[in-house]
Amino acid sequence: MFDAAAVGVAFANLLDPFTMILLVTGILLGLVIGILPGLGPPIAIALALPFTFYMEAVPSLILLLAIYNAAIYGGSISAIAVGIPGTGAAIATVMDGHAMYKQGRGGEALGLSLTGSIIGGLVSVLCLTFIAPVLAQVAIKFGPREFLAISIFGLVVVVRVAGANLFKGLLVGGLGIFLTTWGLDELNGAERYTFGTYHLYEGIPLVPFLVGIFAVSEVLIGAEKALKRIEFDKTSLTVKIPGLKTLSRLKGNLARSSLLGTIIGIIPGEGAAVGAFFAYSEEKRRSKEPERFGTGIPEGIVAPETANNATVGGALVPTLTLGVPGSPAAAVLLGAFLIQGLAPGPTLFDERPDIMYSLFLGLFFINILLFFIGLFAIRFAAMLIKVPMTVIVPTVLLLSFTGIYAVSNSLFNVGVLLAAGVLGYVVRKLGYSIAPLSIGFVLGPILENSLRQSITIADGSTAEFFNTPIGLGIYAALALTILWGPISTWVRSRMAGKVEDP
Amino acid sequence: MLTQRVANMVFTVLVIIACGYFAVVAQGFEAAGLLASSGLPSRFFPQLLLGFTALCAAVVLYVYAVKGEAGDEGQTVFASSAEARRGLLALGAAVVSYIVWQNFGYIAMALTSGPLLCLAMGVRNPAVYGVVLALAASVYLVFTQLLGTQF
Repeated sequence: MFDAAAVGVAFANLLDPFTMILLVTGILLGLVIGILPGLGPPIAIALALPFTFYMEAVPSLILLLAIYNAAIYGGSISAIAVGIPGTGAAIATVMDGHAMYKQGRGGEALGLSLTGSIIGGLVSVLCLTFIAPVLAQVAIKFGPREFLAISIFGLVVVVRVAGANLFKGLLVGGLGIFLTTWGLDELNGAERYTFGTYHLYEGIPLVPFLVGIFAVSEVLIGAEKALKRIEFDKTSLTVKIPGLKTLSRLKGNLARSSLLGTIIGIIPGEGAAVGAFFAYSEEKRRSKEPERFGTGIPEGIVAPETANNATVGGALVPTLTLGVPGSPAAAVLLGAFLIQGLAPGPTLFDERPDIMYSLFLGLFFINILLFFIGLFAIRFAAMLIKVPMTVIVPTVLLLSFTGIYAVSNSLFNVGVLLAAGVLGYVVRKLGYSIAPLSIGFVLGPILENSLRQSITIADGSTAEFFNTPIGLGIYAALALTILWGPISTWVRSRMAGKVEDP
Repeated sequence: MLTQRVANMVFTVLVIIACGYFAVVAQGFEAAGLLASSGLPSRFFPQLLLGFTALCAAVVLYVYAVKGEAGDEGQTVFASSAEARRGLLALGAAVVSYIVWQNFGYIAMALTSGPLLCLAMGVRNPAVYGVVLALAASVYLVFTQLLGTQF
């Protein structure tokens, strides 16, 4: 399983000056985009995708991973400095981070978030490095029924966490999958919803659709709030890295949040925001003084910031080993693999171990460099919060239009981008989440192929359809995920009843 | 202001109608030659999903019609009429930009999309228009000179 030659090639790939320049550029770009409120990691990756079209696989993927990591961290800077989370992943950081900033301890808050992010990122990369090759070995034995179970699991989980109403999530998830049925049927060549245009023979293109859903819809929502001014006080922005004494006090928090973030990242469809909230709630639950959370304490910054960066490595586990995205950002990252002609999945580990090791090592480098760049760049990068939406909105729209055209040389794809953006805007305005829509669109082809093949294999027998121990295990985990909430509520109410009875 | 209840009810009805239309279209899918008899018909998966999506839409419609809300009681689609105007005008500006590109080329689109969006957002400061145009020029230069894109 361990391939020393591939590791050597990976080191050589990473030490290439061009790759290193891209790595640093990716970190800076990610920080900038993460800081700007509204533009999160999926948009950051989506906007950079067109540039990767002209690059080799390793430099392009390193660039995108650097952007992904840094954008998640960047979101905490605006969360702390102005109380507006730059990304969804930083929402939980606002409570204690901004409270600390208002007390004149902004530097301390930024130092805690930077340290937590780096530790969470490094732990998750370590987990990715050891789990992914093992999971790939298991996944290579997966057949259609197992992939069907994994896809259903991923979709249902993302629907559950995406919004208050389950059926609204399922509706847009179904819509996302349905849109992947357009184009020629891979199995028997039938034309489906091509409406007489050859542009649709290969279906709705993935990259324009995802960029439209994330970037264009965000641009339109940003345009609504364009004239709101952001008040910003730049005092206390010099980062203060926590000392060993503080880190020693927070070591349990750091370890738990790192592991929680990684595990939540691994679950297909869950993103950094869920990881951050989960870790924050867990630390608050464990605390002897939960009432202090939200008043500006280190624990309230370290937990979400460690966990949200830990989801990056976690999210890459199902993305790289199964081709099932671990988060919306990872779904966009899948598009980058496809642009490079690579199909993420278990066989990729056998076919291109050099690329896999390059990504693992690259993530280590990214986290370490993010620490030093973050240390010096935060003060300057934070000034970007002042860039008004009236400048961001037209520029991001033009970048999206131009980038999509540059990748495909097709004005039709720009039309798809715009249509997807309008769809994303409408569903977001109506209170739907776009996460199930995007994940559904990525999982659609896997779902259809595996379902049709599973039905063919089962040959009409329900028992044969479910004759898959791994698949049954996944379905059991899914049932547990769905039923866990109601069961624990019922148990708690019973326990409370018993306590009150005497 | 348009309430979430009304907007969602209209949206779900439209989804159900669209599902019906696409399901009828799917009846006409024909597989090519020898592959026609292999496995399940092409219409199976789209129709399965359309049925599922329509069912979810019907449940959402029922929830809004009977309960009046789905975790968004009393909320409106837009926070204010000014926000609605800016959002919808920006949407219109994006569509116009695409049409300009189709008919007059990329440079015309790059020159008009920024100012159009600024107008849609109600920007009055000329400096913002200048910055947006300067950024559009730099986007053009990066793609043409650095990446070799031909428009």
